[in-house]
Amino acid sequence: MKTGEVQLIAEASSTRRASVRGSLWLGGLLAFGAALVLTATAAPTFGRQSTPPTNLSGSPIPGVKCVIGLEDIKPGAKGTLASLPDGLEFTAGKKKADIAISSIQDVFTGQESRQDVGGMSGTLVKAAIPYGGGRVVSLFSHNVDVLDVEYMDSNGGFHGAIFVLSAGKATALKNQLVAQGAKVSPHLDAPGPKGEKP
Amino acid sequence: MRPLGRSAILSIFLFAAGAATLLMSACVWAQPHPAGMAGADSQPSQKLTASAIQVERIAAPADFLLPEDTSVSMYENLVLQLVKTKKFQHVYRSGDRSAADVPDLVILHLIPEAYKQGSQKEREVTTVAGATSIKVKVEITSREGKVLLDKEVEGKVRFYGENLRATYDLAKKVATLVNQTF
Repeated sequence: MKTGEVQLIAEASSTRRASVRGSLWLGGLLAFGAALVLTATAAPTFGRQSTPPTNLSGSPIPGVKCVIGLEDIKPGAKGTLASLPDGLEFTAGKKKADIAISSIQDVFTGQESRQDVGGMSGTLVKAAIPYGGGRVVSLFSHNVDVLDVEYMDSNGGFHGAIFVLSAGKATALKNQLVAQGAKVSPHLDAPGPKGEKP
Repeated sequence: MRPLGRSAILSIFLFAAGAATLLMSACVWAQPHPAGMAGADSQPSQKLTASAIQVERIAAPADFLLPEDTSVSMYENLVLQLVKTKKFQHVYRSGDRSAADVPDLVILHLIPEAYKQGSQKEREVTTVAGATSIKVKVEITSREGKVLLDKEVEGKVRFYGENLRATYDLAKKVATLVNQTF
């Protein structure tokens, strides 16, 4: 009788231990996922804090994304955008592209909202978070500036380059280009996307 | 209730991750086919020929509000996609003076007809709302102004991606249309 009781107690104890271990494992997994997401969310924020809010005259702007429009630069490439006395220069790794001031036909600035956790890897991480946690992560976004530079090549062909910069830098860069002699037609810059202004 | 073992939890986690990946792939594949291009019967009966094409700047009607970055992105994506088709010896940009010497040049015009700006945040949070869409009239003319092709095409971004991805979708559809026409 006593042996049976001891066996039952031992079984109950081992079941409880396994249950606690399972809970700890699940909790650890969730905590790891949350930490991963928070790290990814915080990284761009800290990155932004370390950079000055406005572009200093002539200083290159790192972390600029060239969405499209530059010869020999892959769409979506990230690099450094510098305003030189004779135009704009975008450098992505070993590749360089220039836009001469005299070829610029128009410059537009705008604002957009970007996801803090984005891209293919970010999307996969968001999709892997259980209980719709990825949707909560999607709520975190930051504003960016968009700079469109319309220019002509040597044959007179029209080009348009789109750059995405940190917030507050596009207008300063546009003013600098105008001061250097770039053509700009009078226009109202388009407002940002509705809802998630801009 | 029996607690789940470590391997069981890991299996569930991997299964969920796999399912999410499959779902995303399905979403990408579920993008609608280009307007008027799904069936073989919609293909033009006679193929056109031209050695070069010139892409004109996007000319939106005066009362039509289209963000400049969308317009520029549409134009640039279209040039890239047309080059990829390898149907033409040369894809000229708007205003390119060297296009003047090409005898059988065709000119492609995109005329925006409708634009709905969505929101990436809304798309990713709700899945069903926040789509961005652009509808354009694709017009291919000869140098003399004779209309060779006139169709409507719509570009969309429904689930994942930034708003400008709609212009990429549109350019791919226009390139498919050009591919079928030439």
